[in-house]
Amino acid sequence: MSVKHLLYFTATEHYAYRWSRRALALEARFAADDAGAAGFRTYLQAKRHALFYVVADVAGEDFHEDQIPYLRGGDRQAVIDRRLAQRYRDTRLAAALSLGYVTGERRNERLLLTSFTNTQQFTPWLDALAESGAKLAGVYSAPLVAPALAARLGARRGRAFVITANRAGLRQCFVEDGKLRFARLERIADMAPEDLAAFVRSETMRLAQYLTTLRALPRDGPPVRVLVVAPAGQKAAFERILVSDARYAFRTFDLEEAVRATKAGRAPEDSLAERMYLDLIVRRTPKHQFARREDRRSYLLWQLQRGIVLAGAAALAACALYAGTQWIDVLSTRGKTASEHRKANLAAERYRRITATFPVTQTTTDNLKATVVEFRKIADGTAWPEPALVRLSKVLDAFPRIELESLIWRVGPAGGRDAGASRPAAASGLLAGKEREELEIEGRVATTQLSDYRTITAEVQRFSQALSDNGSPYRVASMQLPFDITSQGTLTGDIGSTVRAEAPRFTIVLSRPLK
Amino acid sequence: MIVTAQETRKLALPALAFALLVGAGVALVGYVDSKLALAERGLAAAKAHRVEASEKLMRIADEEREVKEKLAIYHRLQQLHIIGPEQRLEWADAMSRIKTNRELLDLRYRIDRQTLLVSVPGKPANVDFYASTMKVDIALLHEGDLLHFLDDLRNSGYAYYAVRRCKIARTGQASTGTSIAPRLRASCDIDLITILDRAAKT
Repeated sequence: MSVKHLLYFTATEHYAYRWSRRALALEARFAADDAGAAGFRTYLQAKRHALFYVVADVAGEDFHEDQIPYLRGGDRQAVIDRRLAQRYRDTRLAAALSLGYVTGERRNERLLLTSFTNTQQFTPWLDALAESGAKLAGVYSAPLVAPALAARLGARRGRAFVITANRAGLRQCFVEDGKLRFARLERIADMAPEDLAAFVRSETMRLAQYLTTLRALPRDGPPVRVLVVAPAGQKAAFERILVSDARYAFRTFDLEEAVRATKAGRAPEDSLAERMYLDLIVRRTPKHQFARREDRRSYLLWQLQRGIVLAGAAALAACALYAGTQWIDVLSTRGKTASEHRKANLAAERYRRITATFPVTQTTTDNLKATVVEFRKIADGTAWPEPALVRLSKVLDAFPRIELESLIWRVGPAGGRDAGASRPAAASGLLAGKEREELEIEGRVATTQLSDYRTITAEVQRFSQALSDNGSPYRVASMQLPFDITSQGTLTGDIGSTVRAEAPRFTIVLSRPLK
Repeated sequence: MIVTAQETRKLALPALAFALLVGAGVALVGYVDSKLALAERGLAAAKAHRVEASEKLMRIADEEREVKEKLAIYHRLQQLHIIGPEQRLEWADAMSRIKTNRELLDLRYRIDRQTLLVSVPGKPANVDFYASTMKVDIALLHEGDLLHFLDDLRNSGYAYYAVRRCKIARTGQASTGTSIAPRLRASCDIDLITILDRAAKT
């Protein structure tokens, strides 16, 4: 949200500012009485749901240093609430600022308990805010941002007094190592620059003496830095009066110079140093403030709403970031793909150029290869009967008593000796591989002694041996002798018969595998 | 902080916005992831294509040799008219010519209808191998007639002749002196194989 509202709360008058685009604009001012509170209620009618920061710049602030045991979370808050309740009668506006830890036998946390001696002065104004529906970001005091102001004026570490002339009066803050330790407000009347500078010097000495008494400031230490923001145009007068010595190291800033150092935005012309406090509270909102959680409920709910939406936006942003990196990968991958395509096309183009020089074919290269490869497969699975018949003829020359009855030559799958019925080429195993060439020889042995089983059987066995011997590619796959001489068969004979019987037949199957 | 029912209602709209924003983010990531997966698949395919093209280019010398060698066979198949549609009249002429030239006593044949033997994938079109089975019965004076017949058939072209089976048996007829009687009879099954290359230029 770019528009914020501030209620600058002083003892005599309260100022309603509008902060937008780093510029403060005074919208209204109210007297610190019932009439002023009524005017504020009227003012708030047009500010429903507006975000308000209440910045108190009043005298009567209490600062008390205390220690609590080292605790965390709810236990710590409970102890702090108890300490605040013990210290202050009205805890509606109270805060505990951590000053760090004490290491000793027991580790304790140092706290600066702070509140206002008169919290009742705030009540009508806070009630008006609550009733209007405005969101109360918190109740702050000018000293809460004094450490931030000191840091911008050059005192980040060590001890320093920050002294400014505000509308509310002369604001003095004691800051040690970036932590607020003490603050006071002294009212100032209209004074000449020299008188105001002298007043600053005397009040500085009073503050230092008080802090020394409290042992917050060492009696014999190095000079304390005193950062003084003089009203516009009064720097020279201040510097003449505020001369550094062994106890104080003064450094005077003109208001405009300090505004530049704090990078505060524009503000109304008649603003004094409070403009820096107001600007810092909006831009560098302190961690601590005085209001109770109940008074800030609408603000906390608004923060929760905003947090939920911001979490969603953050998730979307994270997803978008991840998607962005992934998209870079997509683009890179697409680039690589295009490069691969280019390389492939180049290779294909080179291939085409080279193949253009190949011998002219009547078909495509792919079909040429497919045709020849498949044709070779078919040719390798076929054979011609001549070699087998020639082999048989040569062997027969050596066996004049063998007479052939019939020959069956065939090509087919191994063991596929069927009756010789024609089979379709595709079903015959022409392309199936492991084909065999077979020659089935049926014949008989011409002899006068048909009962000479031993001679006839030996002749057939020699004949089959000769067919498969001497480097012949053929092997005898099966042989059926004229007489069944196995133990499983039946052997018959007719010795001495005068009737001429037909010579017994034999069958030999030769086989060789094709490629 | 305990949130009241009224406050919970006030959180509904931000919660809806949260859900929409997260949903949009998840959808965005999903969309980009799908695009990335698509791009990676495309890259893998492109790489494979490039590797294939490169390897093809590297093998080009071998391929040239292979093409030359295969081309010689292809030309031979074309010369023998094995590549091309069936020429049944040429087959019939060849059978008559062989019978006359070899003075065969009897030659009978029957050619069955054509069947597809195999279809080989090619580019741009398949190469189909067809077979027609021919059954031949021949009366032979001696076994040499069969061998001469097969040799003549092989040289006649117009198909690749794959002999599947041949049976030779004695007829049992004796020569009379006035006429020549066949002593043997052969019956053969022969596949007449032709190739149809649809990409071949006529």
